[in-house]
Amino acid sequence: MEEFIRGPLVWIAFAVFFAGLLLQGWLFFRNTSPRQRRRLAVPEPKKKKPQKDKKTPLTPAALYAWLVNGSSACYQRHWPRLRRTVLFTHPFMTVVTVVFHTFLFAAPLLARAHNELLRRGLGAGLPSLADAAVDAMTLVVLLCGAIFLWRRLLVRRVRAITTFYDYLVLAITLAPFVTGFMAAHHWLDYHTVILVHIGCGELMLMAIPFTKLGHMIYFFLYRFLLPGEYSFGQGSRAW
Amino acid sequence: MAAAQQATVDTGKVKDLLAAHRAEMKRYLSHCMHCTLCAESCFLFMARDKDPRYMPSYKVLNSLGVLYRRRGRVERSFLEKIKKIVWRNCVLCRRCYCPVGVDIPRMIALARAVCRSQGVYPDFDEQGHQESWL
Ligand code: HEM
Ligand code: HEM
Ligand code: SF4
Ligand code: SF4
Repeated sequence: MEEFIRGPLVWIAFAVFFAGLLLQGWLFFRNTSPRQRRRLAVPEPKKKKPQKDKKTPLTPAALYAWLVNGSSACYQRHWPRLRRTVLFTHPFMTVVTVVFHTFLFAAPLLARAHNELLRRGLGAGLPSLADAAVDAMTLVVLLCGAIFLWRRLLVRRVRAITTFYDYLVLAITLAPFVTGFMAAHHWLDYHTVILVHIGCGELMLMAIPFTKLGHMIYFFLYRFLLPGEYSFGQGSRAW
Repeated sequence: MAAAQQATVDTGKVKDLLAAHRAEMKRYLSHCMHCTLCAESCFLFMARDKDPRYMPSYKVLNSLGVLYRRRGRVERSFLEKIKKIVWRNCVLCRRCYCPVGVDIPRMIALARAVCRSQGVYPDFDEQGHQESWL
């Protein structure tokens, strides 16, 4: 059992993870009609820019006018849409979730122990950060996780749609970070903790394609390929 | 509203409708993070003192979500209940914004179609003039 978790299951977990993501991607294309994806996020054909009037001297006044006109055009074009996005309706949660997701990837990818193992297993790994930096990232991930949990437990509107499954997925996500940190600091019995850590890591990897963590790939498929007012596809306003 | 008076539900028809959109809808349902960040984008939520029952995700999970969970085996009383959700609590204005990309209006629209297929829909001729038509 122990041998299995430390050996073959690591490879199985990675295989399930990558194959699962590919499978989900394939399912997406099979289950959406080309019509739905029709307005693929291709950039609009660029209009020919009017030839720059080379004679306009670059005076401070001209520069100022260019800045003001440019930014007000930009503002008028994007603000009506942007102000409804979570960046402006939930600035706090936006920061929390961006920080969470950044370190969620960065901490395990740049942890020294992981890359050491990768180099041993595959002969190549990523550069790694100092242990203290990875420790800090891990703690930040856990802090953000705690904020998610706090919301689930105490905020009325989040509670209204929370199910047991949400706690389960949050636990699956945070478990490798808790146990990884414990292992790195030799809390409790190292041998047991590292075994639990590897098990939790494998569980998380295998869970990603097949649970709501699948948003990792679907986020991009939805946002880039399905047209909608807020997606990068060219949705049109229906109002 | 003769159809609406019938006590039974044509489960086969409901199942067919659900099956026709199963892949897409199950996908959306399973990728909703239950994070409630879509709430503010719904003007009804804002207009009802931020009552959680008007959150886009709440409306979908408690209508279409339950239809899929019960695999279409629902009673008429249930359809009458979600009629309030999908017609009164949501007007299908398509303005909700979900950071993950879950298409709430499409799901509400399907829930409406399921209700309509069983003759459950608001009857404006009879009740439209009343204050609470649902
Ligand atoms: C599946 C195979 C995995 C293996 C074999 C593995 C192995 C290890 C090992 C040996 C350590 C170091 C303990 C030490 O320093 O003595 C570690 C630390 C850690 N691991 Fe993993 N791990 C795996 C998956 C994951 C996953 C999926 C995550 C998170 C997404 C993760 C997050 C961490 C973190 C955050 C640390 C602690 C870094 C620190 O605080 O310095 N691990 N892991
Ligand atoms: C590049 C990939 C990813 C993107 C673009 C992404 C995007 C998002 C977005 C937009 C949300 C909703 C906002 C929120 O709840 O704060 C979210 C929530 C979440 N994501 Fe990701 N995600 C990605 C990868 C992952 C991965 C790999 C995991 C875990 C293994 C993960 C775990 C979570 C969790 C646990 C939540 C919800 C927290 C809660 O409200 O309970 N995400 N993600
Ligand atoms: S629909 Fe989108 S924004 Fe709303 S709870 Fe689900 S994932 Fe969050
Ligand atoms: S479509 Fe429905 S849920 Fe979405 S914003 Fe409009 S009323 Fe709210």
